[in-house]
Amino acid sequence: MNHQNEHTHHIELHDVSVKRGGSVILENVNAEMHCGEVTALIGPNGAGKSTLLKAIAGLIAYSGVIHFCTENTCGSGRPQIGYVPQYLDFDHGIPITVLDFLSMKEQRRPLWFGHRRNAASAAKEGLEWAGATHLMKRPLGGLSGGEMQRVMLAFALLGKPDVILMDEPVSGVDASGEEIFIELLHKLQAEKHFTVTLVSHDLSVVSAHADHVICLNRTVRGQGSAGEVLTPENISLLYGVHSAIHHHPGAHNHG
Amino acid sequence: MVDIIYSGMDKLLPFQWLAPVFMKKALLALLCVAPACAAMGVLVVNFRMAFFSDAVSHSAFTGVALGLMLAVNPMITLVLFGVLVGLGITRLRSGSELPSDTVIGVFFSAAVALGIVIMSHRRSLGRYLEAFLYGDVLAVSRGELAGMFALLVIVLAFVGYSYNELFLIGLNEDLARTRGTRVRLYNYAFSVLLALVVTVSIRAIGILLVTAMLIVPAATARSLARSAGGMFWYALAAAVISAVAGLAASFHFDTATGATVILIAAILFALSYPANIILRR
Repeated sequence: MNHQNEHTHHIELHDVSVKRGGSVILENVNAEMHCGEVTALIGPNGAGKSTLLKAIAGLIAYSGVIHFCTENTCGSGRPQIGYVPQYLDFDHGIPITVLDFLSMKEQRRPLWFGHRRNAASAAKEGLEWAGATHLMKRPLGGLSGGEMQRVMLAFALLGKPDVILMDEPVSGVDASGEEIFIELLHKLQAEKHFTVTLVSHDLSVVSAHADHVICLNRTVRGQGSAGEVLTPENISLLYGVHSAIHHHPGAHNHG
Repeated sequence: MVDIIYSGMDKLLPFQWLAPVFMKKALLALLCVAPACAAMGVLVVNFRMAFFSDAVSHSAFTGVALGLMLAVNPMITLVLFGVLVGLGITRLRSGSELPSDTVIGVFFSAAVALGIVIMSHRRSLGRYLEAFLYGDVLAVSRGELAGMFALLVIVLAFVGYSYNELFLIGLNEDLARTRGTRVRLYNYAFSVLLALVVTVSIRAIGILLVTAMLIVPAATARSLARSAGGMFWYALAAAVISAVAGLAASFHFDTATGATVILIAAILFALSYPANIILRR
């Protein structure tokens, strides 16, 4: 794939369904994520938002069609995807540093022979993009949720992605954490022209930064610009009668 | 070739316990097996595959029984059957919704049961089993020694080539996959190689303790190291120290070599906690 000329991707989902253990998690999802835009996925807990991201990333089986389109072609060939999960399920006692983690795809030479200079400088660049150079030598297991997500963003960016898929950024760190993070992502996206799809609970952040909003609850309940979608009627339909635009400081969820 | 190495050892390591040829051969065997186990062990801990290793090692009951029954060298059937069990577990684990430890448990029990059934039918086979249960590094043949050396070379080449990718898969498969790592291929390759390491090492360490040779030095390394690279070197050092000290001690106290090696590895592990506290000051 020629990344220089065909960098921009938009994603088309046609009748995408996911079943797991007999229950339907997503049913006939039809949606588009436009190239060079920030698309926000919103919906209540258990709506299938994380599952949809994983389907797009090719990490789980689904039925239906997901097309990735460049200016000239449209097919099921997957572009380079940067996936930033909500949290990393790993053994926190494992003695590896952030630099180790970021070097793993940057050098073939085994880490027991040390870091190659270009792997270390790539890692540093990735952390600069994610605003986290100070974390370079820290043990991976000792990072806070917000720090971890910056490191995972750096890891995703090092793959030179065409598409960034980001699950619910920074839950339970501090009120401004998510906003700062999405601002950062928005700025990067303007520089690097990738397509962003993110899951968010914070509707005020969504309305400030998303170009396109998809309301999801097992299937698509509405999509359009933030102004079109984030109406009181839609929100109460999606989250229940008493909801309004407010901040959710909630802990991890796998919507 | 081996004789040149032996005379070299006589000059460089003039210890009384190393004087007999079988002791030199045992030392060489352990110096092949211990580093191979340590290098794989770092990743076994990372992949949480200790139980997998146990299942493969216990499948040796059947592997040995089959060899004795078919009048083939039991080392060959042992290795082949172990690799087969390893492949079976890996295949079923990726294609089933059963929890991983349940899949392994099923294979584990079936393989042990089959071995016991065969042995109980032909009671004369039972007396051969002890050498495999506890290991018998002092009776390693030249051919087996050559096999262990080949194993060490293969393990170092494989781990040298794919340490970083395997470490990443162990951290999180999804992340590895989205960055283009061929997770399935690595999982299969690692499982087959691990089954090889386990079965070949049984001759030296024994069915009951071979998993410890993988896990204990890596656990010591985990508590001492600060980086992915450091963990490898600490594990290697812990394994080699345990192997040499264990062999010498077993000669001195007339104890089973495999078990003595593991006991020293466990002592090193216990010491790694206070050592860690001192180092972090």
